[in-house]
Order: sequence, then C-alpha cells, then structure tokens
Amino acid sequence: MNRLMMASLIAAIAAPTVRAEDGATCGFGTTIAFVDSPKEAATLARKQEKLVLVLHVSGHFEDPRFT
Amino acid sequence: MGALTSPEVGTFVNEHFVSSFQKVATFKIVGKQKQGGNVAAYFCAPDGRVLHVIAGPVDAATFLAESKWVVDTTKACIEKSHGDGGKFKSLFRIAHADKLRRDTGLSVEAVGFDLPDPQADGDALTFRDPSGRPLAPKLPPPPIDGPDVALGEKKFEELQKNAANAPGARACYDRRGGRVVVNNQAIVHQLLAAHAMCPIERVYGTVFENILGEKISTKPVDIVNPFPWVDKQGNRIKR
Repeated sequence: MNRLMMASLIAAIAAPTVRAEDGATCGFGTTIAFVDSPKEAATLARKQEKLVLVLHVSGHFEDPRFT
Repeated sequence: MGALTSPEVGTFVNEHFVSSFQKVATFKIVGKQKQGGNVAAYFCAPDGRVLHVIAGPVDAATFLAESKWVVDTTKACIEKSHGDGGKFKSLFRIAHADKLRRDTGLSVEAVGFDLPDPQADGDALTFRDPSGRPLAPKLPPPPIDGPDVALGEKKFEELQKNAANAPGARACYDRRGGRVVVNNQAIVHQLLAAHAMCPIERVYGTVFENILGEKISTKPVDIVNPFPWVDKQGNRIKR
C-alpha cells in the first residue's frame, strides 16, 4: 500500500468533523446520509477526509429488520 | 433491527463516514411473499479497501460499537505504522485476530501476506457472469487454532456462551478437531484476520455467500431508491 493511501487514511481519522455538504445526500427515513453510489462516496470521502461505509442489501430494503 | 434509524448511530456514522448503498444477491417471490434478503455493512478506506464488516442485521448498540471499533483501531494502527502501508495492513489483521480472541476466546493467526488472486480479470478461463465480470471470489478464512491459552476454562466457556447467543451462531471445528461456537461477527474477524484491506469486490462474495448464506446473482447494483415506501425527506408515501 502506498504512502498516498496512508495519507488519506490519516486525514480521514484526523479530521472527522467535516460534514457531508458537497454531495447531495438522502436519509430515506434513516439517520444516515446516503450519497448515490460507492464511487461518489469514495470521492467525497477523499475530499472530506472521512472513511467510507457501503451498505449491501439484498432484496428487502423495506424490511425494517435490515435497516 | 433499527440500527440505521438510531440518532446515535446516525451522528457517529455521518461524522466519520461517507455512506452509500448497493443492491446485491437475489430474493424470491413465492406467491405474494418475498423470501430471503440480508444486509452487510462494509467500513472501508477511501480507496475501497475493507477495514471491517458487519454481516447481517444488528441492533443499534452493536452497530455503534463496531463503528467505533473501526475508527479507534484505524487511529491506533495509523499511529503504530508510522506511515508504512504494509505495516498498517498487518496491524489491522492482527487487530481482527485480537478482537476474535476477546469476543469468543478463539485463537486465529493473522496472515501477513496477500493470497494471489486465482481469477484475474484478464484470465480467459475465468467463469464470468452474464455482464462479463468474473464472479466474486470466495476467500478462504485462516483456520481457528483453538481456545486462547491465556483464558481459563471458565472464561472461555463464558465467551463461547455469549457467542452462541449472537446472530448467526453456529458450531465449527478448530484445527485440533475440537467443537467451538462462532457467529457472524466472529467469522468476519476470522476472515479479516487474513483479508483485511482487500478491495470490497474481493470480499463481498465471501461475506454474502459464506457468512450470510445468501446466493449472489451478479455484481452489486447501484439502486436509485432503496426505500421505495418513503420519499427523499423520509416521509411515508401514500399509495
């Protein structure tokens, strides 16, 4: 893993209070702000110095057990 | 289980992560009933390499605890690795092995090398899905060595009892052939003790098929509206 990767990780942890203001986000009834795609999340994470959370869901989005 | 509707989870996750979602796997409609369905949350570095996974639905307290573990462990590993990416990866795998030991009393050796990819994208003999992509690999977890010797028998049994009460609890055999109990999160730690910091596309197949028991139909698909019964502001849509 290169140093660039490490630098982005360090930055992600060091400055966690930056808000997701650049990308349009939707909560869809949850308290999590979702962006449209993992690619966009990765781009924003680099920019805003955060980590990335990707949710993989099969089928039952409407099932509250999963969300 | 309501984890993603918890205000504490939302505050913490929105503060430390940029979140998104994808649809994977399949579900059946039998009559008017849907069968199947599951969820996995991947905590990744900004380049898509997986730091941790929550396999299956969990409650808000568990989701928050796992999220905090990711952030704290990442901080600790960054500090100890002094900018060395290889060392960071190694430390993170050791952290997963340690967490497994603390949670279940089981000992697993963290793997200090990356397995070669048996199905490179350009390989003509690789089986592909209808979209032309190679199927998600099923990564082999490192073997469970056995109970941690530092624990007494009583403590080990207590941890095993707790593990048996967690989602996805199942029996398996350690390297000596002894019967032990693991659960979804224990298998995640076992897996990531060897494969932490692998790209998400190499890990998700193992999580869905080997841990959650969900058959994956194709690559993850971005979906426009994951919650069709609410609008973008979270208000329930009347039909």
